[in-house]
Amino acid sequence: MRIFKVYLSFIVIFGFLAIVAFNQQEVVIRIKGGMPAIPVALPKFIIHSDNPKIIKAAKEIHDVLKADLKFSRVFELVPEEFYSYIKLLDPNNILFKDWESIQSNVLIVGEVSSSKDNKLIFTGSVYDVRSGRFIFGKKYRGSSNLVRLIAHKMADEMMKAFGEKPVFTSKIVFVSDRDGNPEIYMMDYDGYNQIRLTFNDVIDTLPALSPDRTKVAYTSYRRANPDLFVFHIYTGKTIPISTKGANYAPSWSPDGKKLVFCSSRSGNHEIYIVDEDGKNLRRLTFNKAIDTSPDWSPTGREIVFTSDRSGSPQLYIMDAEGTNVRKISYGGTYHDSPSWSPNGDKIAYVSRVENRFDIYVLDLRTNEIFKLTENNARNENPSWSPDGRHIVYSSNVSGTIQIYITDYDGKNTRVLTSKGNNKMPDWSY
Amino acid sequence: MTKKSIVIFLATFLVFFALLSCKKRVEIKPPAPPSQKAEEKAMPVEEVKEAPAVAKPELSEEEIFKAKTLEELNREKPLQMIHFDFDKYDIREDAKPILEKNAEWLRRHPTVKILIEGHCDERGTEEYNLALGEKRAKATMEYLVALGISPNRIKIISYGKSRPLDPGHNEIAWAKNRRAEFVIIAK
Repeated sequence: MRIFKVYLSFIVIFGFLAIVAFNQQEVVIRIKGGMPAIPVALPKFIIHSDNPKIIKAAKEIHDVLKADLKFSRVFELVPEEFYSYIKLLDPNNILFKDWESIQSNVLIVGEVSSSKDNKLIFTGSVYDVRSGRFIFGKKYRGSSNLVRLIAHKMADEMMKAFGEKPVFTSKIVFVSDRDGNPEIYMMDYDGYNQIRLTFNDVIDTLPALSPDRTKVAYTSYRRANPDLFVFHIYTGKTIPISTKGANYAPSWSPDGKKLVFCSSRSGNHEIYIVDEDGKNLRRLTFNKAIDTSPDWSPTGREIVFTSDRSGSPQLYIMDAEGTNVRKISYGGTYHDSPSWSPNGDKIAYVSRVENRFDIYVLDLRTNEIFKLTENNARNENPSWSPDGRHIVYSSNVSGTIQIYITDYDGKNTRVLTSKGNNKMPDWSY
Repeated sequence: MTKKSIVIFLATFLVFFALLSCKKRVEIKPPAPPSQKAEEKAMPVEEVKEAPAVAKPELSEEEIFKAKTLEELNREKPLQMIHFDFDKYDIREDAKPILEKNAEWLRRHPTVKILIEGHCDERGTEEYNLALGEKRAKATMEYLVALGISPNRIKIISYGKSRPLDPGHNEIAWAKNRRAEFVIIAK
């Protein structure tokens, strides 16, 4: 519980600073301690069309936006039945007192119409209910198959307006054997739009999505050796990065220009840094033990990794130059797959106890450990959401290996995949 | 007449009589002609057989080996896999005689090149298992090199836990899956 409170107060402080830093418009956010979820009213959108396609699209945007805001843990939705207590929304004459009376702090007014070229137009206007002030507005135009993206973009704008990092247009890359053998796939944060990226008909594994979401670094056995490649998702180009020895477990630097990864090119598993085009390879560790699973800190100044130099796999942090190595894990005999939180204060990792793997979160400031999963299964490869409030991981709890998302406190666990086995998720920044 | 003269007389008479009768019997009994039936039984039956198929020239072990494709060779598994202890990559005592046999086979077929695949059980994380699998393959390679096999003939690869032999989730399956396998990649 204490760790929980500490975390929340950090979110509050960080969130507030972020607002001060980014937002010069005067947005007043009332945080009353405890859970800082902001109550949002999201009444039905106003539809300026008789076209059944537009009517259907409007409902879908509303549903997706609602799901996004619910997921966020930043906002909470005012129960819809409350809307019946007050007058119908008139976008030209909003009665803010009414909206305040049903305990909403923020009101989202959505309007949907169709353009001359038969595209969909969505307008979202966001108001601070108490002051009646217009906070921001967004207008999107797109074909009707893009309604989910339009809703996610609007939800991201909500996050930004309230000093949070956008989450909803982020992507998750993962490995699936649904088409016969392990290949790399990509999906939206909510499990929609699952698409296949690689077609090598061999093992493709351990993908890492670049911060700009245009590249995937991954290991492929396509040349009968585990080599590291960077695949440019939108040009189709694949560039070999490291092809001597075994090469795997890449992690992108926060600026997206470098990769840190594990290679046995010297004859032993060591950590290396390389430019995203495969140039300027530099070795960071010099140790007889296995050094693997590196992950960059959000500042780019440090790297967390796994090493069995003490006799069993444990977590260590070093400076990005390879110096100043210190052990950070304790209280277990087998730790791996560290993932550094985007706020820099936490590391999620896998710990093995008996034959179970669970996801744990280590708070680097307090040195406290929080156990995130508890399901008598193998839970692996945690990766943080861009805002640090959610963690994606794989689990065999259902009998097959599938990808799950849970919140920072282990609540709201939900499954994202179902076809074949799906594992090794990596969530973009 | 004395007793002696009577005996001699009788003996002489008997001998004479016997000789007479012998001669008579020989004359009376000519050999009987063989019967028709007996003649038939005595005729041996000759089994008529086709000539044996023309034998192919016998092949030497070397020639048999050369005739096989890599796929056929690997199906026969001339090189036996070895197993490892949980979380470990050192060569077990029970693996040593297997590796010695494998080394002997490799010496007999000096052109063969092999790939050693290191595998792990599911009780390790993805990343660490990839490293552990490679350590197992490497330890296996080093043992063969110590037995005189050139390192130029050996490649190693790790599959971590991605290719279990036994999909089970118990000790028996895990023990089977912690292994180094040998694949012939050139001959």
